[in-house]
Amino acid sequence: MDVHLELRRPFQGLHSKRMRMTSGFRWLLATLPLLCLMSQVNGQKRGAPRELKCVTASFQVWDCSWKGHGTLYEVCIEDRSHSCYHLEKANIKIPALPPGDHVITITSLHEFGSSRSKFILSERNVSLIPETPEILNLSADFSTSTLSIKWNDKGSAIPHHSNVIWEIKVLRKKSMELVKLATHSTTLSGRDTFHHWNWTSDMPLECVSHYVRLRSYIDDPHFSGHKEWSDWSPLKNISEIADSPTKVFPQDRVVLVGSDITFCCVSKEKVLSAQIGQTVCPLIHLDGENVAIKIQNISASANSGTNVVFTTEDNIFGTVIFAGYPPDVPQKLNCETHDLREIICSWNPGRPTSLVGPRNTSYTLLESFSGKYVRFKRVEASTNESYQLFFQMLPSQEVYNFTLIAHNPLGWAETTLSVNITERVYPHTPTSFKVKDVNSTAVTLSWRLPGNFAKISLLCQIRINKPNSVQELRNVTIKGVESSSYLVLVDKLNPYTIYTFWIRCSTETFWKWSKWSSEKQHLTTEAIPSKGPDTWREWSSDGRNLIIYWKPLPISEANGKILSYNVSCSSEEGTQSLSEIPDPQHRAEMQLDGHGYIISVVARNSVGSSPPSRIASMEIPHDDLQVEQAVGMGRRILLTWRLDPKMTCDYVIKWCNTSRSEPCLMDWKKVPSTSNATVIESDQFRPGVRYNFFLYGCKNQGYQLLRSIIGYVEELAPTVAPNFTVEETSADSILVKWDDIPVEELRGFLRGYLFYFEKGERDASKMRGLESGRSDIKVKNITDLSQKTLRIADLQGKTSYHLVLRAYTDGGMGPEKSMYVVTKENSVGLIIAILIPVAVAVAVGVVTSILCYRKREWIKETFYPDIPNPENCKALQFQKSVCEGSSALKTLEMNPCTPNNVEVLETRSTIPKIEDTEIISPVAERAAERSDADPENHVVVSYCPPIIEEEIPNPAAEEAGGPAQVIYIDVQSMYQPQAKPEEGPDLDPVPAAGYKPQMRLPVNCAVSATAVEDDLGKTAGYRPQADVNTWNLVSPDSPRSTDSTSELEPEPLVIEPKHPPCSAFQKRAAADTVRRIHARRIPQQLFSVPL
Amino acid sequence: MDLRAGDSWGMLACLCTVLWHLPAVPALNRTGDPGPGPSIQKTYDLTRYLEHQLRSLAGTYLNYLGPPFNEPDFNPPRLGAETLPRATVNLEVWRSLNDKLRLTQNYEAYSHLLCYLRGLNRQAATAELRRSLAHFCTSLQGLLGSIAGVMAALGHPLPQPLPGTEPAWAPGPAHSDFLQKMDDFWLLKELQTWLWRSAKDFNRLKKKVQPPAAAVTLHLEAHGF
Repeated sequence: MDVHLELRRPFQGLHSKRMRMTSGFRWLLATLPLLCLMSQVNGQKRGAPRELKCVTASFQVWDCSWKGHGTLYEVCIEDRSHSCYHLEKANIKIPALPPGDHVITITSLHEFGSSRSKFILSERNVSLIPETPEILNLSADFSTSTLSIKWNDKGSAIPHHSNVIWEIKVLRKKSMELVKLATHSTTLSGRDTFHHWNWTSDMPLECVSHYVRLRSYIDDPHFSGHKEWSDWSPLKNISEIADSPTKVFPQDRVVLVGSDITFCCVSKEKVLSAQIGQTVCPLIHLDGENVAIKIQNISASANSGTNVVFTTEDNIFGTVIFAGYPPDVPQKLNCETHDLREIICSWNPGRPTSLVGPRNTSYTLLESFSGKYVRFKRVEASTNESYQLFFQMLPSQEVYNFTLIAHNPLGWAETTLSVNITERVYPHTPTSFKVKDVNSTAVTLSWRLPGNFAKISLLCQIRINKPNSVQELRNVTIKGVESSSYLVLVDKLNPYTIYTFWIRCSTETFWKWSKWSSEKQHLTTEAIPSKGPDTWREWSSDGRNLIIYWKPLPISEANGKILSYNVSCSSEEGTQSLSEIPDPQHRAEMQLDGHGYIISVVARNSVGSSPPSRIASMEIPHDDLQVEQAVGMGRRILLTWRLDPKMTCDYVIKWCNTSRSEPCLMDWKKVPSTSNATVIESDQFRPGVRYNFFLYGCKNQGYQLLRSIIGYVEELAPTVAPNFTVEETSADSILVKWDDIPVEELRGFLRGYLFYFEKGERDASKMRGLESGRSDIKVKNITDLSQKTLRIADLQGKTSYHLVLRAYTDGGMGPEKSMYVVTKENSVGLIIAILIPVAVAVAVGVVTSILCYRKREWIKETFYPDIPNPENCKALQFQKSVCEGSSALKTLEMNPCTPNNVEVLETRSTIPKIEDTEIISPVAERAAERSDADPENHVVVSYCPPIIEEEIPNPAAEEAGGPAQVIYIDVQSMYQPQAKPEEGPDLDPVPAAGYKPQMRLPVNCAVSATAVEDDLGKTAGYRPQADVNTWNLVSPDSPRSTDSTSELEPEPLVIEPKHPPCSAFQKRAAADTVRRIHARRIPQQLFSVPL
Repeated sequence: MDLRAGDSWGMLACLCTVLWHLPAVPALNRTGDPGPGPSIQKTYDLTRYLEHQLRSLAGTYLNYLGPPFNEPDFNPPRLGAETLPRATVNLEVWRSLNDKLRLTQNYEAYSHLLCYLRGLNRQAATAELRRSLAHFCTSLQGLLGSIAGVMAALGHPLPQPLPGTEPAWAPGPAHSDFLQKMDDFWLLKELQTWLWRSAKDFNRLKKKVQPPAAAVTLHLEAHGF
């Protein structure tokens, strides 16, 4: 808005006037800011009107207001009619001014005087603010949680066709949380129009208050001024339900699986928990104690729906939600009819909806041409079975256009099918199926097929089964009838045959076969036999009687049950008939005189007789025939022959078992005269049995034997071994002879014999593995079947031979027969065998004798040297003299002794210093070196048990003074190798236990007596490894005596001499002890053994 | 519910027993009067069998209702199931009742419960459940007949059904699904309590009526079911 402030100053007024006159609008704009500033300054100072503002709501009236302190205002608008208004308020409503600038002069009158302000006003300075809208109606559909508002756009007040934008705010809870801000566009039409807006809340409306308000904005393209939003309309609200029997919302809602849903609970008590199914959900607190839970991606419900439960202190509220799927498109919709009266449509429901009971899918089958429909509703939970609907066919309508609509609370789906129903006939199973005879080769079949098939033709299929035959299918086309009864003729059947019939039908425009009817068995009637029986004749062995054989007719030729046979023979003289032969007999015998008869055989059943089969009785003589051999395969044998043009009728092969007696006939076979080969096959053939085959040719009404053949259908190995004997035995050869094997046991054509022989005794070894190619077995293969003997040469005399013979055929080896034969003695060889060893033995003896004689001196030296007499040895004699008187002493006394008491005397005997010895063993030396280091407290156990020896105290020993001269066997053996046993007692007068130094003692009885005088009689035992002369048990010089003297002195030790070692073991053990002591040189402790 | 052969045979045996003994009810057959003893014993046995049968049915049905109804510790307040006959009664009050009153209460209660059960059967969504319910309904019908037989034997008249009672007992469609489930839950619970109470009632009655020595009773082999 351009504003001029005009004070009553000529300058200013002139100036402004001149400017208005001389300049354009642009110039005015340029000066506007300055003027505004001046106007403000002056106005503020003097209370002039300022800040003129104009707004419009309807384009027609501008509502202008300004600021000022006047009590009266004069407002003049300079337009075509210069009009002025006198006002008491700073506000004026003026009609909308035409486009362009308009000068508004507002003069304010106040106590100070007056002040005038000029404003330039155009539409651009006017703000378009629509009138505040009002919500006429706010309604809620609680079942769908939908809010609906209605308001009036008051378009009549606005002349323009303008677009209006409405902004709608939805607030929730008392705290006014904004939940939705939506815009809605409408167009003003110049009339008052009511508008509606709907909004579906995610939260059920029952649980929390919802508030709505709106405002508008008119988007008028013609209006050049400023456009603004209207004020917000007053709030309208939908309150929660305060008191309802139902507490949880929504109730029993059906939703799509996977959708999000909010449940809420209206409660006056505090809700403690909420759960859906088994899942506990976090609570969303609403106003008061109301709560809600939000479920996202809900899963499909069970049959009874999903329970949602809110629990308070002492109550529980709940609802059931049904989450499922909309129905699937019905699959495999198929419509067909069984009877052209009713159409059956079946389909597969597809994916289960998870909705059952009243929410289960309902189906409507609508036929669009007739507009008829049928409904299907299943309350039960759907299984995946096929669904079916029946639709009654309409007369004279063949084409049906079906639409199947599936519907449930979540949606619907449909599928269509158009069918010509006459092409979709699936007839019922034919019933009342019956068979009726027409003649022996034809029957009629009748059945019922319910249905209205008068307008179409049926195609039926007859299945015919005959024993031992392949199944036959015959198709027949029948005109459909109203009466449902059908009849058809089936011919080309065999007489007297059991047939089984089935029937099924379809229509000519094939859709589906009906099921097969139940089977019906039928025996066709008899007819006369079609052929005479196959006949043969044999002359009896005496040539007088002719035996006529015939084979029973096969069922296909008998055409009924054969009751009897008529046999007659005719010659030029006349015909002779035998009486009727009842059926099971297939043989007749006639006495005929001479040949040249024609025999005829006729089979007869209940209907009539067969044509006769004839055979000539005459046997034409034949040349000598060579018996041939033949081998078959399996149970068949192939015979061939050369065609003989003279044979005019036929060939007959007859065969029999060779073992049977004459006349031999097992069976025969007739072959046309044009054939030259046949395969004989019979169940009677057995492998390994020989058969005779005779080929007859027929000419001039007589039969001539052409060939005679023996054969096997299969050759086997012989069952027995040939029986053989030894005819002759010599020193180097054996002659063996064997017999033939009977034909029955041969079981094949004999091909030869195998003869084995080897050296061997009867008991020694059986002939093991003849075929294994052992080198010592000799084999002869005899293929000349006429050969019945065999001579085996180059044998050893007086030797046992093992002979084996076996026969073989092409079927294999027969069993073996063995025999032991000893060849005769060879005398020359025996003599030589005795003489040669004798001669050799004599020669060896002679040579040996000569050699011995010549080397006799050497032999003596070697084997018999002179041995000197130890008696003569001077070197050993000294000892004898020394201990002359002690001969009573024994060294080795093998007395048993038993210790009865052992006393341990602990002593620290002084070890005399070893000073000089004649002999010091290396062991002793080492022991001596170690003696200082060794502690003295070694325990040595005496090996002498306390046996009272009768001989001690031995006065001789005491005299000899030698308890110390105890000698152990080990030591003794070491140092007295030359000593005679007898000398022992001399040397060792005391057989006492104790120590014997490892040295040769210069035993002197006197010296030793003095040396150990003090201890004599008490002490045996230990002696240091020193000269006996140096023995001093209690030597003060001894390094060991210092501390042990006092202890040792009163009782310096030891073992009583009267306790000698008692056995060799004891001695040896004592010697070991001694050695140990030696080694350590420590005589620490000995046991005193009191008696 | 898994209908085992044992259940079917058991029920069959039960029904056969009921039918077999019906002629023996004195009200129906006055000629060879064996007294009410056998029919009370038979009713008692049938009650025990029904208790057993209900255990299996309730398991199946509560599973069908889904959690939390099938949770073992679920014990909701009795909402909206006021029309169901309550089995719970003060011990003193119960003792003060005479035989006729007790039998009448039993008879009325089972008549109503049977109506409810049939309504339940109509709503069940699965064929299997319906079969189980129908099976139980048949048994309960048998019990009702049995109680009627006992009452007749003792010379008590049958309570006259109030006109229009039968359809009114059927649960109304106004119920929400949840309240319906609560009703179903309570129905099963009340049935259980009633059967337990009836067993006590019949046992008491049996001891009272039956001379101890002359008791020749037929025991149903309920443990084999």
